[in-house]
Amino acid sequence: MILTLITFLPLCGALLCMLLPREEEGLLRGTAFVTALATFVASLFLLSGFNPHGWSFVVDVPWVAALGIHYHLGVDGISLWLVLLTTFLVPIVLLGSWHSINKKVREFMVTVLILETGMIGTFLALDLFMFYVFWEVMLIPMYFIIGIWGGDRRLYASIKFVLFTMVGSLLMVVAIIYLYVRHHELAHTWSFDYQELSRLVLSPHEQLFCFGAFALAFCIKIPLFPLHTWLPDAHTEAPTGGSVLLASVMLKFGTYGLLRFAIPYFPDAMAELAPLLSVLAVIGIIYGSLVAFAQKDMKKMIAYSSVAHLGFVVLGLMMWNVKAIDGAIYVMLAHGISTGGLFLCIGVLYERRHTRRIDEYGGIAAVMPRFAGVFLIITLASIGLPALCGFVGEFLVLTGTFGAYATWAGLPHFFAHPKVLALFATSGVILSAVYMLFLYQRLMYGPITHARNRELPDLSRREVMVFVPIVIMAFWLGVYPSTFLRTIDPAVDRTVAAFKIKYQAGVQATDLPKMLPEIAASPASPEGEEKR
Amino acid sequence: MSFDPAQLAQIAPLLVVLAGGVFLLMLEAFSGSRNRSYLMPLTVIICAIAIGLELASWSDAAHGSRVIFDGMLTADRLSIFMDCVFLTAAALSAMLSAGFMREHRFEHGELYPLILFATGGMMMLGAATSLVTIFLGIETMSIAVYVLTGSWRRAPKSSEAAMKYYLNGAFSTAILLYGIALVYGASGATGLAELGQRASVLGTQPIFILGMLLILVGLGFKIAAVPFHMWAPDAYEGAPSPVSAFMATGVKAAAFTTILRLFGTAFARPELATGVVGWANILAVIAVATMTFGNLAALRQDNVKRMLAYSSIAHAGYLLIGVVAMGVVGVEARGPVLYYLVAYTFTTVGAFGVVAWLGNRGDERLQIDDWAGLASRHPAAALAMTIFMLSLGGVPPTAGFFAKFYLFRIALESAAPWMLILVVIAVLNSVVSVAYYLRVVTAMYFREVGREPQPIRARGMSLALVICAVATLAIGILPGWLSDLAALATR
Repeated sequence: MILTLITFLPLCGALLCMLLPREEEGLLRGTAFVTALATFVASLFLLSGFNPHGWSFVVDVPWVAALGIHYHLGVDGISLWLVLLTTFLVPIVLLGSWHSINKKVREFMVTVLILETGMIGTFLALDLFMFYVFWEVMLIPMYFIIGIWGGDRRLYASIKFVLFTMVGSLLMVVAIIYLYVRHHELAHTWSFDYQELSRLVLSPHEQLFCFGAFALAFCIKIPLFPLHTWLPDAHTEAPTGGSVLLASVMLKFGTYGLLRFAIPYFPDAMAELAPLLSVLAVIGIIYGSLVAFAQKDMKKMIAYSSVAHLGFVVLGLMMWNVKAIDGAIYVMLAHGISTGGLFLCIGVLYERRHTRRIDEYGGIAAVMPRFAGVFLIITLASIGLPALCGFVGEFLVLTGTFGAYATWAGLPHFFAHPKVLALFATSGVILSAVYMLFLYQRLMYGPITHARNRELPDLSRREVMVFVPIVIMAFWLGVYPSTFLRTIDPAVDRTVAAFKIKYQAGVQATDLPKMLPEIAASPASPEGEEKR
Repeated sequence: MSFDPAQLAQIAPLLVVLAGGVFLLMLEAFSGSRNRSYLMPLTVIICAIAIGLELASWSDAAHGSRVIFDGMLTADRLSIFMDCVFLTAAALSAMLSAGFMREHRFEHGELYPLILFATGGMMMLGAATSLVTIFLGIETMSIAVYVLTGSWRRAPKSSEAAMKYYLNGAFSTAILLYGIALVYGASGATGLAELGQRASVLGTQPIFILGMLLILVGLGFKIAAVPFHMWAPDAYEGAPSPVSAFMATGVKAAAFTTILRLFGTAFARPELATGVVGWANILAVIAVATMTFGNLAALRQDNVKRMLAYSSIAHAGYLLIGVVAMGVVGVEARGPVLYYLVAYTFTTVGAFGVVAWLGNRGDERLQIDDWAGLASRHPAAALAMTIFMLSLGGVPPTAGFFAKFYLFRIALESAAPWMLILVVIAVLNSVVSVAYYLRVVTAMYFREVGREPQPIRARGMSLALVICAVATLAIGILPGWLSDLAALATR
């Protein structure tokens, strides 16, 4: 029940906001904020009673019984922290947008809360139909956020965002239906159940097509080089809150989808395409960093840095060993905190000066000392300084990649020389330090070149409240990773083991497509339900 | 042949609608009063009574196909299901018409009887199990709709639309009739079931196949499939918007019902469906052409009503995928088509309804620029239009999404590789369609108000729009009961 509560509480808040009069802006902001905060508090209860060895808090109710569609939610170590990241960031986003959103306040609150329901639902869905519904439900609010409250080129950016995402996701729905029909042919029941469909081993040929369709949807979302071109536009034109949610949470759906669906479902295709995807990931790391370095617009720069960071995540996933995947998930969380923080910092400057051009600033540290401190911490967190959140994940990914070859016993050898990849990817860490520190230097130090910059007020109490949780989490993720890895690790272990079983079943078999026997080894829902 | 009056009870809804039409016509002629505002509620009530009668016979219809008048008509669940769709479309269009006609000053009382006569034709078409009744139904429906198209007498483009529609329609009916004649000549039968039996012997006769293809062409005109679509954009654009809504939904749904019946019964044999000139193969090509052309043409429109006309062509293309699937997997594929027609009916009537609502006298406000900033003036209408646009584009959780999903599922179930290609093409088409549907949303929400909108104030209209919007969401979020009903209706 708690999962239903977390998923639909924001939607209820959105409906409530719709009923409130539009003039009562304070009340609207308050209602939305309280709803988001309540959702966060409710989501904290997931931590108690969470069972790291399977699905927890499972809800499974038939929705369209004749077609095997179930309302099926559940959480495991992979999705747990991503859900918490979402519920953690939404109140912060609402608080951060308190004054910057001053037109159509009611609509903003409604769209952000609907978006939250979509995001949480996508992470929790254990029924592929539900997953797809939530996945698409997410799209429309973000389209509105960019289109209504965005910058000058918002019309272009919003429609580009929708169309890019749609191309991938509609091909994915074809692949989902294909799986579903194939499953029915072999098992004679209609089901969209995640576990049930994962028993299906398709022939290599089919796997390649289905993996292609899934991976295209996810790689556009990530975005993996060269599918990233929508991202700078969307990020730059979106309002601060939109950028934060887009970068911190929505990009993660791509990598989450790869890890949860595309790779475990189609091991053979994964083996085939991993070299390509991992090379693209490394290109993304280096390309993203270099392009970020050349930007004159702060937001564009952070957008390209996201391409680089997400490159690490994809690289980690492609190496398919526990360490690298742990690292990939960790980078997802850390990137959510640090990039969210960076966009909020830029939002603070933008609110004061209404420009995103880097050369309009300079010497800000002298007039805004508190801000300078916060911004420095978040910048360093993004670079990956040890003791801050960025370090752990990237380190795990790089060591996981470097030592990947030895971990592939019983698995395909995805790549002949993973060490080479690690070597190139490491340069991304250095490059990120270069462009981020260069940004910090140009914004914060040096003489004040613009007269208006002399009178900028420092962080208000509200803004401090926005940044405090982010800074705390940046340190927490950096200093004490085992809080998180303790639950992530078993889930990743299970996923890797299941992959291995499925891959071997596929390699030896000549009678594909076929069904694997009921996976009894993986402790599925019953245990989780006891906990409930 | 014998006439059994007891069988009249089985076509009671059809009689109610036709008698209701005559009654309204007389009432309007003899009442003498200039106030005609009572006609719309009466039309809705007649439709409601007919729907009630249909629903009452639902459980009886489970026991085999009920043959009426020596196999001329049937009252099976397929016809009951579709009759409800036609009647709903008619009632909603009537509700839209009242306010629209008052605003644009052409309050002709004949409009409502004509809607009822057209609906009667559709119901006959839906129940027709003989080539003769199919022809009768098509003619009854079409002639009434030709007049409806031209009912806005003072608007030149309404007359132009009626003329174009009439000429093309007459032409297509002639082709259809020629096809019927050839099929009859080859087989000596007009009953669909009988044709289905004889097709095993006659299936390879060139005359029989030619007749079948000519019938296909004739019906292709009615559903506005490419390359028989030329009349549709002009007719939809020129007709009064509530009539466009009725044409785009009722007429199309009726023609699709006939196609399902005809090709699921009379021409169901595999060699006729997937042979060299099999109808499923031909329809697959037509489906690709129809959706691709419809979407690409809609992409270029600045006139919202014309855009909806092209979009309705594109939707005929998606629907044809279901018909093609029927050629491969059998009558099971009818269920998704029925569901799609329901979803499409509510959504399209709603979309045309908002178009009708926005215009005011002497200014129909059809250009996309006229929609700019609508959300800040009329948030409820903008929200409703957004729901319709998302549903037409197939975005969850609206009805349009589930309809597409259900349709693609049945298409993929056939496991033929070319069906997979068909579905992929349909999906890519959906992406294109989202681009132009969102143009309307973009205009309403993201742009500043251009000219101040002065929409029509009419209770019937608002109610119809609310019903459409709620239904579009409701059957999208809880699609189970309707898909179950649609599946029952195909047995």
